[in-house]
Amino acid sequence: MSNAPSPFVRAALDAAATLPSTGIAWLDAARAENLDAFAVTGLPEGRDEAWKYTPLRALSQRGFALADRAAAVAAIVDPALYALPGVDGGRVVFVDGAFRADLSSLDADGVEWTPLSGALSTHPEPLRFALANRYRRAAADAFAHLNAALSTDGLVLRISEGVALAKPLHIVHVSSGVQGDSAWHVRVLVEIGKYASAEIVEHFVSAGAAAQLGTLVSDVVAGEGARLGLVVVQDASVATTLVRRSHVRLDERAEVTLHALELGGALVRHEVSAELVGDGARFDSRGVFALSGRQHADTQLEIRHNARNTASDALWRGIADGRSRGVFRGAIVVSEGADGTDASLSNKNLLLSGQAEIDTKPELEIYADEVKAAHGATIGQLDERSLFYLRSRGIPLVQARSLLTLAFCRAVFESLPNEALREHLGELLVAHLPTSPAAE
Amino acid sequence: MNESENMTRDVAAPVRDNAEVEAALNRRYEAGFVTDIESTSLPPGLSEDIVRQLSAIKQEPEWMTEWRLAAYRHWLTMPEPDWAKLDIAPIDYQAVSYYSAPKAGPKSLDEVDPKLLETYEKLGVPLHERARLAGVAVDAVFDSVSVGTTFRKELAEAGVIFCSMSEAIREHGDLVRQYLGSVVPTGDNYFAALNSAVFSDGSFVFIPKGVRCPMELSTYFRINAINTGQFERTLIVAEDDAYVSYLEGCTAPMRDENQLHAAVVELVALERAQIKYSTVQNWYPGDENGVGGIYNFVTKRGDCRGADSKISWTQVETGSAITWKYPSCVLRGDRSVGEFYSVALTHHRQQADTGTKMIHIGKGTKSKIVAKGISAGRSSNSYRGLVKIEKGADGARNYTQCDSLLIGKKCGAHTFPYMEVKNPNAIVEHEATTSKISDDQLFYCLSRGIGEEDAVSMIVDGFCKQVFRELPMEFAVEAKKLLEVSLEGAVG
Repeated sequence: MSNAPSPFVRAALDAAATLPSTGIAWLDAARAENLDAFAVTGLPEGRDEAWKYTPLRALSQRGFALADRAAAVAAIVDPALYALPGVDGGRVVFVDGAFRADLSSLDADGVEWTPLSGALSTHPEPLRFALANRYRRAAADAFAHLNAALSTDGLVLRISEGVALAKPLHIVHVSSGVQGDSAWHVRVLVEIGKYASAEIVEHFVSAGAAAQLGTLVSDVVAGEGARLGLVVVQDASVATTLVRRSHVRLDERAEVTLHALELGGALVRHEVSAELVGDGARFDSRGVFALSGRQHADTQLEIRHNARNTASDALWRGIADGRSRGVFRGAIVVSEGADGTDASLSNKNLLLSGQAEIDTKPELEIYADEVKAAHGATIGQLDERSLFYLRSRGIPLVQARSLLTLAFCRAVFESLPNEALREHLGELLVAHLPTSPAAE
Repeated sequence: MNESENMTRDVAAPVRDNAEVEAALNRRYEAGFVTDIESTSLPPGLSEDIVRQLSAIKQEPEWMTEWRLAAYRHWLTMPEPDWAKLDIAPIDYQAVSYYSAPKAGPKSLDEVDPKLLETYEKLGVPLHERARLAGVAVDAVFDSVSVGTTFRKELAEAGVIFCSMSEAIREHGDLVRQYLGSVVPTGDNYFAALNSAVFSDGSFVFIPKGVRCPMELSTYFRINAINTGQFERTLIVAEDDAYVSYLEGCTAPMRDENQLHAAVVELVALERAQIKYSTVQNWYPGDENGVGGIYNFVTKRGDCRGADSKISWTQVETGSAITWKYPSCVLRGDRSVGEFYSVALTHHRQQADTGTKMIHIGKGTKSKIVAKGISAGRSSNSYRGLVKIEKGADGARNYTQCDSLLIGKKCGAHTFPYMEVKNPNAIVEHEATTSKISDDQLFYCLSRGIGEEDAVSMIVDGFCKQVFRELPMEFAVEAKKLLEVSLEGAVG
């Protein structure tokens, strides 16, 4: 915390000054509060435990103006950029943080949705609790403050009670590439009604190589008995800085499964916090990052068991090549009284280069005794004997490595029920896997 | 005060039996008595003046005084660490007396105040007896000064130096100067800096080249006086091809005030040297409501400087209101090995944040961590560890296993392992589990006619076996007993 605000903070303050009033007193107040809080704390520093392995010194020296809304709405984006096989249940597209009605089409029974900008201009009051209250609760996190202070658009999505969506919904965030070093901030609110079921794919892509900053804060509530499959595909340009934070609340017997594929970005931070507040809830998460060059990806997973007989299973893989750095924190918290919890976490990492680094920190915090909790983490490299075996069968080294690397992270997608999507993500991953033999 | 100078090296041995070891361990906190002997203390408070006075009392050379002062000045600039998962009531460093010594300076071990010897006997450390029977050389530290070191003659013949730190500073100044602070620098952390400024005594061990220390060395620490802190400093140096096994035990009387204990232990292992360091820590843990007890803030670090050296830490932590302790290994020498075996038990309102650091620098270095945490009552027990593989540590290997056992609904068991790897030829593995004593196991024992408490202590014993195996035999027996005592009333 230095006295003079960093260029990053200065630019954020300047950006806030350009935002017109929303015309909603409580929202303006919440924004101002968050902006103040952000200005006071600035970006987290190395001493901040939560950011220990993700230094933001370089980022703090950069300033981002807000992406221009008119330009974002006018930008030409090729839909082929974000086409995903197996994901055809309707689509909502944001370009540089602005909702694009022309590219979005979502019309399914039992699905209510509006862009946040629209909802605020027509019916702001129902959003008051989510927007004004949560902001305060998110205190102490700089990016949440920043997002709350500067986000003007986003999505409000509600799936009605008992509705089972047959096809997956696609939420796309495009970086247009026409706006240089600019920033966008998006806020998403999702509610899955009681006993409803859905699959939602959150997708990040870039049209160009602009060095944009994007922040996304989402709140997901899975009601009693609801089932949600959440897939995150992050394939942004390697110049992008992306900070995502999602909070998932699970009511009684709700089941949420997250699959995350982390491929792009220069500096990416993905925070997932799942709170199992209803008895019998279950949260499973699977994810993989494949990094090369100078990429930096940081996944922060926190699973809180606050009710009885809840379960969670986490399976995360990381691959770091080149001069990249992969960071993982996976915390399982079992609160007092959360008896019958069954939690496990596995984090395995492949370190493929002498210049790359992996930092991992699986944590257990347990306050109840009728509990089964376990975690395991490894950092290592491809098994020499397996490589030798494959080569002895005439498979070239490059191919053998890529085969074994794929095998290493395969388990992550095995449980994805959407077969077409599963195949596609596998291919996407293979394309990102390092092909050059690292240390021969 | 110049007590250690005149101590006899020859030790007479009035025979006493070891039944008192058991008696001492058999009830709640039996070590909680106060020995009524007059002691000399410095007035409470900490200033450059106190540091100078302390140094003067100990008749230290100029360089030592300066070293302490530098540490003190550095300490003033440091913030108290707050990252551990501990809830620490504010500590008033000015209310602590930084020096306390029994008044009647003993002229020889035979002249050591009988009351004091009795204290040790109650604790199960009859200096003469136990030492001779077990072949253990004991250096007992009472409050701040070393009251007697046994078996010095035998050790001297082997070329081993084993004496109090005060004596070492006076008589082996060059050696001390060469190594003191070389593993834990004075400014390493808040408590290490404090210790460097005010440490009053401790043990110094030097094993010269090629010597295998003929017996196990041991220190027994005891805090007796009220409002005193104990700041001991231990330095063990094993030269090339040397071997030593060192044991340390600690107790303190029951008092309602919290007492401060901030120790620093430094180990240096040169080429092919091996140091095995075992601790049984049984400081007064406070009562059921968390009143009183020792604040145990300890910095322990071993430096495997030479190739093929090995440092092994084994600890059984059952005492203290608060434990903040991370015995670490810096694996600098190629193929050096670090080990950490730990059992930490917390009950009532005890809090422990303990673990280890393994820093792999040399090629082919290996480390192994086995940590067992047992929480009962309303206690909080955290494992915090770091495994760091530096860029040059080709082929480094680490295996970590931490298991937690919960006994009761109100306690907490936490695991915070950090793994940082910068070398693609290294393999780091971590596993952790948390569970309670399984109903099946308990039922089985009960059905065989084993009482519930016995069953629990049997299961706990099994849970800790991997660690107890690493302890020297008498310590393993003591550790097992301690666990039973500490767990009394935890079940049911």
